[in-house]
Amino acid sequence: MRFRAKMVDVGCLNNFTRVVNTISKLTKTCTLRLTTDNLFFMLSDKVANGGVSMWCELSQQGNFFDEFQLEGVSAEANEIYLELQPENLSRALRTAQNAKSLKIKLTKKHCPCLTLAAELPSLSSVSRVVTHDIPVDVIPRRLWQDFKEPIVPDFDVSIYLPPLKTMKNVVDRMKNLSQHLVLEANLNGEMNLKIETDLVSVSTHFKDLGNPSWGDDGSQGPSRDRAPEVMAHTRVDIKKLQQFLAGQQVNPSKAMCNIVNKRMVHFILLHEDVSLQYFIPAVA
Amino acid sequence: MPLSTQSEAGDDQYILVASLDNVRNLSNILKAITLNDHALFNATPNGLKVTVEDSKCLQANAFIQADIFQEFTIREDSVGFLVNLTVLLDCLTIFGGSTVPGVTTALRMCYNGYGYPLTLFLEEGGVVTVCKINTQEPEEPIDFDFCSTNVTNKVILQSESLREAFSELDMTSEVLQITMSPSQPYFRLSTFGNSGNAHYDYPKDSDMMELFQCTKTQTNRYKMSLLKPSTKALALSSKVSVRTDNRGFLSLQYLVRNDDGQICFVEYYCCPDEEVEVE
Amino acid sequence: MDCMVTGGNVKVLAKAVHSLSRIGEEMYLEPQEDGLTLRTVNSSRSAYACFLFSPLFFQKYAPCRNPVFRCKMTVKSVQAVFRSLSSLEKTVERCHIELNREKCRLTFTLHCKHGLLKTHNLSFQDSESLQAVFDTDSCANVLRAQPRLLVDTVLHFPPSLEEVSVSVSAERVWFRSHVEEGADQSRAMLTELCLSAQEFEHFAVSHPTHITFCLKEMRGLLMFAEASGLPVSLYFDEPGRPVVLSLTDSVLEVSFVLATLSEESPPLNHSNSSAERKPNPPPPDDFLNDDIDSYLIAMETSELAGGSDCPPPPPPPPPCDPGVSRHRPREGEEEEGEQEEEEEEGEETETGRPPNKKFRSLLFGSVLPTSSQAANQTLRNQEVLASDSEEEEEEEEDPASP
Repeated sequence: MRFRAKMVDVGCLNNFTRVVNTISKLTKTCTLRLTTDNLFFMLSDKVANGGVSMWCELSQQGNFFDEFQLEGVSAEANEIYLELQPENLSRALRTAQNAKSLKIKLTKKHCPCLTLAAELPSLSSVSRVVTHDIPVDVIPRRLWQDFKEPIVPDFDVSIYLPPLKTMKNVVDRMKNLSQHLVLEANLNGEMNLKIETDLVSVSTHFKDLGNPSWGDDGSQGPSRDRAPEVMAHTRVDIKKLQQFLAGQQVNPSKAMCNIVNKRMVHFILLHEDVSLQYFIPAVA
Repeated sequence: MPLSTQSEAGDDQYILVASLDNVRNLSNILKAITLNDHALFNATPNGLKVTVEDSKCLQANAFIQADIFQEFTIREDSVGFLVNLTVLLDCLTIFGGSTVPGVTTALRMCYNGYGYPLTLFLEEGGVVTVCKINTQEPEEPIDFDFCSTNVTNKVILQSESLREAFSELDMTSEVLQITMSPSQPYFRLSTFGNSGNAHYDYPKDSDMMELFQCTKTQTNRYKMSLLKPSTKALALSSKVSVRTDNRGFLSLQYLVRNDDGQICFVEYYCCPDEEVEVE
Repeated sequence: MDCMVTGGNVKVLAKAVHSLSRIGEEMYLEPQEDGLTLRTVNSSRSAYACFLFSPLFFQKYAPCRNPVFRCKMTVKSVQAVFRSLSSLEKTVERCHIELNREKCRLTFTLHCKHGLLKTHNLSFQDSESLQAVFDTDSCANVLRAQPRLLVDTVLHFPPSLEEVSVSVSAERVWFRSHVEEGADQSRAMLTELCLSAQEFEHFAVSHPTHITFCLKEMRGLLMFAEASGLPVSLYFDEPGRPVVLSLTDSVLEVSFVLATLSEESPPLNHSNSSAERKPNPPPPDDFLNDDIDSYLIAMETSELAGGSDCPPPPPPPPPCDPGVSRHRPREGEEEEGEQEEEEEEGEETETGRPPNKKFRSLLFGSVLPTSSQAANQTLRNQEVLASDSEEEEEEEEDPASP
């Protein structure tokens, strides 16, 4: 099992770093899946048990890496699954931001590691080399089924998100006032964030957001017969929503959410060659 | 943009309606008096007065005159209620604490009278937030009975110079001692902490001293925990007047200019911890 | 004692105080003929810092003559005098330091703009002299670099990292994270930075070696160095002997003396290092040493449920000299010829700060303030950082030494 990749373009390095930074803000531990075409950062804290789950896909087609060699577990299963702490990866990348080149490879030191080696500019003709060994756990093949790509749920309403910065500011304040928040939206492009406690009730109203069309006929997919002004809503833990919003480093080119009435909210963010899906379950 | 499009059923029932094009003209000044959660709002046709007290020894007041507001309609001589100040500030700053140049949040604040919540309509960039905050019956604020005829010593300083001293105050000192005198050291702040004492002296002829009227030497001590929060008011203001009366009561008055350059006032009253008269 | 510091030197003095606060809690102040020294030592006596300001640093300098004055006070109280570093330059015109012996007060008076006067009357205690004797001339290895280089180097390591290992060869230096043996060792992220000798102003390695010392304390020095812009020199030789970091200019001498781990042996986790042989550059970029498959096979056949329990990894790959002991001598193992042996009498085992437990050297002897016979203490009783000369003589027969 081997993995080795190289990055020389500063822009790619910055992009990759931003993605890893976002992941590191969303979770302490996650699974990295390497295939010949893609990289995935996955977290599956069973949504049914109240945990969030996350699926982030980076397409290699986006040429993050200049060289990419992978020999997976076997010929038919040409993939590698590693469990790691994204904060380590984030920290390692941070110190390599002005690197002339960055190599990443799977190694075995005191334990299996993802080793990053960056060649940095120096005051002399000899480059500085910084190496970071990030401990990882190799996930055996028999457990791979736990990490399947999530299916888009049978949602009631799908809607484009308002500017994430505005959403984040509002949610940050709401978090001071309440533990839970209701997120609701309809097919008229309207979304509300609402909190209510003994002391105070606050509701923020977004309009003209637009609803994405799923399915070939341009209809809303599963929610065909729904009256446009009827709201689908879910009550979530504000901390989880705040954490999701706080992690975002870049304005995505497309941002939307799917609401399954009283069950969960499914966020999808797309930016260039990266897609991030985040599921927040409902609370009672 | 004012929220004129907001049609509210029973609009004519509100006994108080106050609107601002820029909510910061209210939220900033309220931040200067956040000693604790309990804030007493008192509105009269002259404007709004917000009072916060601490342990019966300290009182902070913020004054925002009626002409600061774009709309200020009051249907009674005096409207008063008690509201949670922290919650109110979170609502007023719902779109974020920091300013983005060119973007302001508009506010319309409405109150229906006793038993009704304080209703806030905030709007920024087409997004509207509605807040309803529960209120309680107003309480009588303490009357510190501080009147200018009893003032023995008065100075007016530029806030900038006092700001540095306040931010450096030795917090291991339980008291802040203020000495005012027609002779040396003129105006002195002193602390007595774990590793020694410290004195900050402002001479009467300093260019930071705008007014110096001290008639007799007075040294008074005040609880540090009560006065330290006034640092917030100092940060916002351009000038501060410091006065003590014959009982040793302290009055701090801050001149605050809001985003539009209009003037508002904040004042603090504090009882002395013990009185030390030094001849 | 009566001194006056003016202009930009006030900030230098302030930075020195803040820098000292990174090492110890008490500051020892001693005004002498040759200048004012400010010193501190950490609680486990494994780090010492000294700032000597020559009389030229001051606009006016009058030390105490009869009797000589030495005192100590909490570093926090002095930091309170120089609280906001950024505004110091802009507002403080001069700083007056004066001793009031009867009242036991050391008074710092800052004369600021606009006529503002800040007076701090600090209480102090009489103390013995705190002194480390060290001889940088006898160190086998000397490196000197612009502070920027070292600041950039330590930036690669997480702020929480306690210790760093430094290895040198004739042409290169490696800085590497040092992780204690223990439960967390296998899960820690390890970082290594390799610099070429060319990046240094001076690089004289006569004895390739590998030392480990406290990174946090080095950061304390770098904080001052970066502001001063003065080049930083590192003096060291074998593991166990302290490393000295210093900078000087015409009016100031700064020395930080840090204990190093004694008896280095190659850490189990890094196949690149060994104290016994010259450290090599990192292995060429290939996969030969990094074969995961055998590891995986071991995992797949393990009885343990779940993928994340790792069975003990197979033995590390070849390049370890079999002659080298795998175990570090730690608490309890007394080595013969250890120069610090004598100093351990009276040493209190520190429980509060993990890395210091391992540093066996106690740099100083009895400077503990239990008794106040300050006047009668002589240098002889104040043990030293440098090795005990009697023991060293035998070791210095080493033909490799210059």
